[in-house]
Amino acid sequence: MDIHFNNVIPIPLSGIQHSDKSIWGSEFSLHKGEKVMLNASSGKGKTTFTHTLAGIRKDFNGSIRFDEREITSFSPEEWADLRKEQISFVFQDLQLFSKLTVEENLHLKNNLTDSFSSSELKQMLEELEIDDKWSVPCGILSMGQQQRVAIIRALCQPFDWLLMDEPFSNLDVENTQRALSLINNRVNDIKSGFILTTLGENHNFDFDRELNL
Amino acid sequence: MIKKILFSYQNKSQLIIAMIGSFLGFTFLVTSIHYLIRVNEFGEGEEILGNNTMIIQKQINNYSSLKLSKNDFSEREIESIRKEEFTEMLQPILSNNFDVSLQTDSELVPYLRTDVFVQSVDNEFTKIDTNKWKWAPGDEYIPIVLPREFLVMLNTFASAKGIPPISDDLAKSIGFKFTLSSPGKKEMEKVRIVGFTNEVSAILVPSSFMEYGNINFPKDEPAIITQLMLTVKEGRFGDFENYLEKRSLESKENSMIVGKLKSVAGTLFSILIGISVITVFLAGLVLVQYAQLLISRNEYEIRTLLRQGYSPKKIIKSILLYFIKVFAVISGASIIAFSVVKFFIDKLLDKGGIQIDAGFTFLSILAVIFAFGIYTIVNYFNAKRGVLKTL
Repeated sequence: MDIHFNNVIPIPLSGIQHSDKSIWGSEFSLHKGEKVMLNASSGKGKTTFTHTLAGIRKDFNGSIRFDEREITSFSPEEWADLRKEQISFVFQDLQLFSKLTVEENLHLKNNLTDSFSSSELKQMLEELEIDDKWSVPCGILSMGQQQRVAIIRALCQPFDWLLMDEPFSNLDVENTQRALSLINNRVNDIKSGFILTTLGENHNFDFDRELNL
Repeated sequence: MIKKILFSYQNKSQLIIAMIGSFLGFTFLVTSIHYLIRVNEFGEGEEILGNNTMIIQKQINNYSSLKLSKNDFSEREIESIRKEEFTEMLQPILSNNFDVSLQTDSELVPYLRTDVFVQSVDNEFTKIDTNKWKWAPGDEYIPIVLPREFLVMLNTFASAKGIPPISDDLAKSIGFKFTLSSPGKKEMEKVRIVGFTNEVSAILVPSSFMEYGNINFPKDEPAIITQLMLTVKEGRFGDFENYLEKRSLESKENSMIVGKLKSVAGTLFSILIGISVITVFLAGLVLVQYAQLLISRNEYEIRTLLRQGYSPKKIIKSILLYFIKVFAVISGASIIAFSVVKFFIDKLLDKGGIQIDAGFTFLSILAVIFAFGIYTIVNYFNAKRGVLKTL
């Protein structure tokens, strides 16, 4: 699935002067398989960008198309199918269920598509060094640990695009590299792409493309 | 998992209060509908006359015995009663204006012959099968309805003769004869009993036979109307009774008591149904409010599930199923409670000599199913609105 932007400006940001490099108000396409870094300082609309592509926000001018279809035309049920099969997210606020354990949080997502077995899920936790948290409620994990759980949860489905909104903000360099490596392997396995929003840090990763807001 | 997220961490006290309210409402509803039906059915099938139907006549006093006052009804009097609010149907009872006697015509019973008084009423006042209740000259037999006192008298006579008593069924199968006579003329007609009555003191015959007797064996005196058949409107027995008292009229006491009892009990159960419906409605509102509260408290959870790819339909279904289980528990518990209450009420009525059908009434159970259906439909739209609002 390719994503096409045509003069998109979020209404709350329409009064701000955007630089020539900004994607707001320009026309461009993102092609499946691309690894994209979206670089912007605070308040430039990184979360707005992610939420708009997730169908959460609809307050924008211009048009966004998934392949040939306007995203404003999707019904709630169609959005559910898209979120289950084609687009996955790591939200900035993570959106985990704090009372559920790590296992339950992962299964809640994984059960929709049966992408992984329990042992594969544990393997991913082990790769990010939180396998001992399997039965621990997410609410009592540190932010860094929760971030890693949210990353693994986002990988527990098939997708064309993985949208991550500052997913490593609470991780140290080592854990960031491990997480990025896990994400990259999964993306390569299923020949999909990702968009990663950052505050300018490229995490020593070789992105296919860099966008600015 | 969705169930755990949405329902496990909720304070259930409001739900429990609403469930108790609904349970009481459902139980009162099913019980009151059941007994309203049973009260209306009470006495049906046992009697020949239709529901709320009775015979009225003028009170007999010393003056009427001395022929100083009339005990027959004039056309004007009949019309006046017909116009009363409590009157549903009214018709004069035709009596024989010819001499007629009844005699046994079977070896199974002792010979008995007696002059009798016969009457006929329109078939719309009775519950007699219209196919059995017809006669034309030349027919094999005349169908009659016998006062039960007559059979009691016959049995007393039979036991005095050392003959076993006659049951209702046997009486229907043995032969009787009518002898119609007028000066210089006599005719015999076979008779067959088709039913018994406690409500009428005369032998009931089809009106065609009455006309035949009155035309072919007339007496010199003109026929007079001394009794009227009247059907009282449901719940108007109070007015009817006052009218009888005011106009010095009387009715057979037992049918009057049953009618009054049915009228009072029917009104009480109707009030109870009204209260039950209000209770069910209010408890339903509390349940709907609880569901709304549950959805609004779970706004984050529902929104997150939707963002993770759960379909709105699936979440609505989970909420709906949870409440369907709640409603099923309420409905089931109310039917069980009703069964227990019914067992004791039926036992109490039986002890008091009132036998009513022990079965469950379909309509009362249907009322619970209907209330369950309404709760479910309201909850579905409530859940749908709540879930889609979080999008």
